[in-house]
Amino acid sequence: MAPLVQIENLRKEFGNVRALDGVTFSVEAGEWIAIMGPSGSGKTTLINILGGLDTPTSGQAIVDGTDVARLDETGLTRFRSEKIGFVFQQFHLVPYLTALENVMLAQYFHSTTDETEARAALERVGLADRITHLPSQLSGGEQQRVAVARALINHPKLLLADEPTGNLDEANEEIVLRLLRELHDEGHTILMVTHAPSIGQLADRRIDLAHGRLAQITETAGGTRSRVR
Amino acid sequence: MFARLVGESFVRNPRRKMLTAAALTVGMAVATATLTVALEVGDRMAREFRSLGANLLVTPQSDTLPLEIGGVDYRPVDEGAYLNEADLGKLKTIFWRHNILGFTPFLDVPAEIATNDETKPQVATVIGTWYEHEVPVPDGTTFKTGVSVTHPWWKVQGRWFSDGANECVIGAALAAKYGGAAAIGKTIYVAAANGSGPEGHGIPLVVAGVVSTGDANDDAVLVPLSVAQDISNHRSQFRQLFVSALTKPEDTLAGRDPKSLTPAEYDRWFCSPYISSIAFQIKQVLPGTEVRAIRKVADSEGRILSRVSTLLWIVTIAALVAAGLAVGATAAATVLERRKEIGIMKAIGASNAIVGGIFLAEQLLLAIAGGAIGFVFGAALARVLGESVFGTPAPPRILLLPVVLGLAAMVALVGSLIPLRRAAHIDPAPILRGE
Amino acid sequence: MFGRLLWKMLRGNRGRLAVALLSIASGAAVISALLNLQFDIERKLTQEFRTLGANIVIAPQSGAQTVDLANAGGAAASVPVLMNESAVEAGLEANRTPDVVASAPFLFIVARAKDEPVVTAGTWLDQARKLNPTWKLEGNWIASHEDETQCLVGRNVAQRFQVGPGGALTLSYLGRSAQFHVAGVIDSGAAEDSQIFVNLPVAWKLAGTPGGIGLWQLSVSGTGKSIGEYAARLASALPGYDVRPIRQVTEAEGNLLNRTRLLIASMVVLILVLTALCVLATMAALAMERRVDVGLMKALGGSISRIVGLFLAEVSVLGAAGGLIGCVAGILLAQWMGQRVFGTAITPRWDIFPLTIAIMVGVALTGALPLRLLGKVKPAVILRGE
Repeated sequence: MAPLVQIENLRKEFGNVRALDGVTFSVEAGEWIAIMGPSGSGKTTLINILGGLDTPTSGQAIVDGTDVARLDETGLTRFRSEKIGFVFQQFHLVPYLTALENVMLAQYFHSTTDETEARAALERVGLADRITHLPSQLSGGEQQRVAVARALINHPKLLLADEPTGNLDEANEEIVLRLLRELHDEGHTILMVTHAPSIGQLADRRIDLAHGRLAQITETAGGTRSRVR
Repeated sequence: MFARLVGESFVRNPRRKMLTAAALTVGMAVATATLTVALEVGDRMAREFRSLGANLLVTPQSDTLPLEIGGVDYRPVDEGAYLNEADLGKLKTIFWRHNILGFTPFLDVPAEIATNDETKPQVATVIGTWYEHEVPVPDGTTFKTGVSVTHPWWKVQGRWFSDGANECVIGAALAAKYGGAAAIGKTIYVAAANGSGPEGHGIPLVVAGVVSTGDANDDAVLVPLSVAQDISNHRSQFRQLFVSALTKPEDTLAGRDPKSLTPAEYDRWFCSPYISSIAFQIKQVLPGTEVRAIRKVADSEGRILSRVSTLLWIVTIAALVAAGLAVGATAAATVLERRKEIGIMKAIGASNAIVGGIFLAEQLLLAIAGGAIGFVFGAALARVLGESVFGTPAPPRILLLPVVLGLAAMVALVGSLIPLRRAAHIDPAPILRGE
Repeated sequence: MFGRLLWKMLRGNRGRLAVALLSIASGAAVISALLNLQFDIERKLTQEFRTLGANIVIAPQSGAQTVDLANAGGAAASVPVLMNESAVEAGLEANRTPDVVASAPFLFIVARAKDEPVVTAGTWLDQARKLNPTWKLEGNWIASHEDETQCLVGRNVAQRFQVGPGGALTLSYLGRSAQFHVAGVIDSGAAEDSQIFVNLPVAWKLAGTPGGIGLWQLSVSGTGKSIGEYAARLASALPGYDVRPIRQVTEAEGNLLNRTRLLIASMVVLILVLTALCVLATMAALAMERRVDVGLMKALGGSISRIVGLFLAEVSVLGAAGGLIGCVAGILLAQWMGQRVFGTAITPRWDIFPLTIAIMVGVALTGALPLRLLGKVKPAVILRGE
C-alpha cells in the first residue's frame, strides 16, 4: 500500500534563509511520527507545508495522493478542510465561541454543521460537561482537547500537532498525551513536532532534523507495536 | 536614546501611520479652510450687503420735517435746513475712513419741466445728486463716489449724466408719460416751481439716459447736484446724505451708550467698525447733523452675518471632532497591534511613562506633519471657496499656521488619550506568555 | 451557522467594536445634522431676509403721481391717481399663500399738524410691525386696523411737535381735521421717522377719498425666483395695476442667498469627505485586528469567500447600526445647531436616515477592503503572529 505521506526533496526558503534544504521521507497510514530537532531546524516549516498552511519553494509533498506543492489557493483550502486536522501549540481557539461552537466552526468550513456530531466529538475527548464554556473558562489542557476534537471532526487523513503540550503544565500534558495515544491506537496517523525526547519516545518513529536537513530516522520504543494490517 | 526609540517606532507600519496622518491632514485642511473663511466671511458678506445700499443717513440736526414719500422729498426749497457740500470731503478723514465705501448727497427740488413741443410745463421733482463725482479730500487726494455705490440697484438705459454737465437722467415712469418728447438725446427745460431760479424758459438739459429705480424716483428727473443747486438757488448745499459703510455686526459692547463706557471700553468701541461708532465719527466731522443707522439695512446685515458666522464655527468644530475620532481609532489599533513590543519593553524595565511617552511623541509628530500639510491644502481650499462663493479668493493667513498646528496636536492628543493610557498600563506578563 | 457566527463575532468583540461603532455613529451624526441643516438653511435664511421688510409693491400703472401735494405749501396741487382698495384686496385674497408674511395698503397725504406740513400715511396699523420688523418702537403698537383714535409717529415728528406716547395730536387736511392719541414713537433711521401713521378708515375720512389707496406693500418669503413668480401671478390677477418686486431688496437677497447656500454646501461636502475618511481609518484598524481570526479560519479550511463574507457582514452591521444611532443623534445635533444659529427649531427630515446609513455602510465596507488582501497571505504567516 502506498504511504500516506511522501516527501521528496522538499525545499523552503524565506529570503536568504533555507528553512528546509531537501528533505525526503515517507509516512505509512496509522503511524505516529515525532519530528524533532533544535530550534531553527525546520520542523515547524515542514509540518506547516504538510498541513497546507505554507507552500514549499521546490520539491514534492504528497499527502493521500495529492501533491500539496502543486495545489492552488482553492485546492489548498479544500485540502486543509478535508484531509488535515491541525493542533497548535497556542491552541488558537476562537475566543468568543464556546467549545462546541469552536468544533462546529471546523464543520462549517468543511460542509455543514452537525451539532450532535460535534457534541460527540467533545465527549470523546472527555469534555461533555464543558460544551458551553468559552476558551477563557477552560484550562490549558481543556482548551487543547477542544482543539483536538476540532482537528478530528472532519475525519481527516492526517493529524498534525505542533508542540501540542508546549503550553501545558505536567498534569494537563499527561492528559493530552494519553488522548493522543488513544487516537493512535484507534488507527489515526499522527505527525507531531516536539523538542522533548520523553514525548518523542511515545511515537513509533522519530525523525530528527538539523539545519533544514534530515539528520536521522529512529525507531522508538513505541514503535515495537505491530504494524501489520 | 528616547529620540532613537521614537524614530524607530515611527517608521514601523507606515500604512497605519499614513491613515492617521491622512485623517489629521484632511481634518486640519478643513479646519484651516473653515477658519480662514470664517475670519474672512464677515468682511466678504459685509461687502455683499453693500449691494443693499446705504446703511447710514445724515440729515441736518434742526430741520423741518422732510415731506418724503417713496424716496422723494416734496418740501419747497425755502423751507427746512441745508448742509454744506464743501464739508463732505471730511468723511474720508475719520478713523474708519477706509470703511466708508461711498456717500451721496441729495437735493430734491419741486420744479416744472418743459419739453421742445408746445405742451404746457408739467410739475415734477428734480433730484440733484452725484454719479461718480470726485470729492476733494483735505489730504489733497480725491474720492470718487455717488449713486453707483449707495444705490447700486438703480439701472440706467443710455448713460448717466456727466458730473457738472447740463445733462439729466429721466425716471422711467416720467419718460413713459412724455414719450418721444423726452427720449434720450432730446432736450428738456427745468425751472424751479416757485420761480426762484433763472428767468426764462428754464435751464436746458440733454437727456442722457432713462433710469429705473423701482420707487418714486422713477417719476422724477435726476440731475447733477450743481444743476439742482442752481435751479433752487442753494449753491453748494444739499438736504440729506446717504452713506454706505462697511460695518461689523453689533454685539453687547456696540449696543451701549458711548458716554457710559470706561476709557478702555470706549477705545475698543471707537476702534471697532460698529455702525454706531462710525455714525459717531461722522457726526464729529460734520457738525450740526443727525447721523442715523438705516435700521432696515443695518439690522438685517448684522443678524444674517452673525448667523453665517456661527454656522461656520460649528462646522469647524465638527471637523476637529471628526479628525479626533479617526486619530483615536487608529491609535487604539496601533496599540493593540504592538502589544508584544510594549510587553517586551516593559519587561526589560521601561516605565509606564516612557512607553506612553514614545507613543505620545509619535502622535505629536504625526500631528505636526498632518497639520502642516493640512494647512497648505486648507489654504488652497480656502482660496477656491472664496473664489467660488464670493468671487474673490480668500488669501491664506500665515498667522493661522501655528493655530492649526496647535489644534492638530490637541486633536491628536485628545483622540489618542485613552489608547495611550492603555498602552502605558499594559501588563507585560500575559503578553510574553503568548496570550 | 453563519448567523450564529456573525452574532458571536459581534457580541464577543463588544469592547473593540464599540470604538468603531462610536466612530461611525459620530460621523453619521455630524453628516446627518449638516444635511438636515443644509436643507433647512434656505428656508431659514429667506425668513431672516424678511427683516428687510416689504419686497413686493402694487401701485397704479406707472407714470401716475400718487401723492396729493395740496397741503405742501407752495407746490401746485395735482390730482392723485388712486387704486381701488377693495379691488386690490380681493385680488390678493384670491391669491393668498402662507409665504405672505405681511401685507398692507397705503394712502399718503400731506396733512398739517400745528400748521406745519407732515406726511401722513393711512394704512393697516396691525400689519405695521410685521411689515417693518426692524422698526424700534417706544410705546405700544396698535392692534386693530379699525382703531380711529390712535396713531404712530416717527421720532422726528415726535421731536418736532414735542409729543410722546400718550400725547395728543390734531391733523387737518383741506378743512377737515381729526384728533389722535400717540400710541408709539417709531425709530427706523429712514423716511418713516418723519411720517405719521394712522389707520386707513380715518385717513379716508380726513382725505375725502374713501376707498382709494396709493400703494400696497407685501412682505413675501421665498427665493428671488419664487418671489418673482408670485409677483407675476398677482400681476395677472390685478390687470390695470403695476405689480413688481422691490429691486433693492430682492436683488440683494438673491445674491446673499446664493452666496450663503454655496458656502454651506461646500462646507457640508468637506465634512462629508472628512467623516468618510475617519470612518475608513477606523474600519481599516478594525480589519487589522481581525487578522488572527482570518488566519485561523483559513487554517481550518475556510474558503476565502466565506471568511471575507463573514467579516463584510460584520462591517455592514456595524455601518448600519452606527449609521442609525448617528442619525438619531444627528437630529438632536441639528436641533441644537438650529437653536444656536437661527434661534428656532429645525424640522427633522426623515429621508436623511436612509441616505446617511447608506453612506456609512458604503464607507465602512470600503474601509474593510484591506481584508481582501488577507486572502493572499498564507495562514502560517498570520498565525505566527506578525
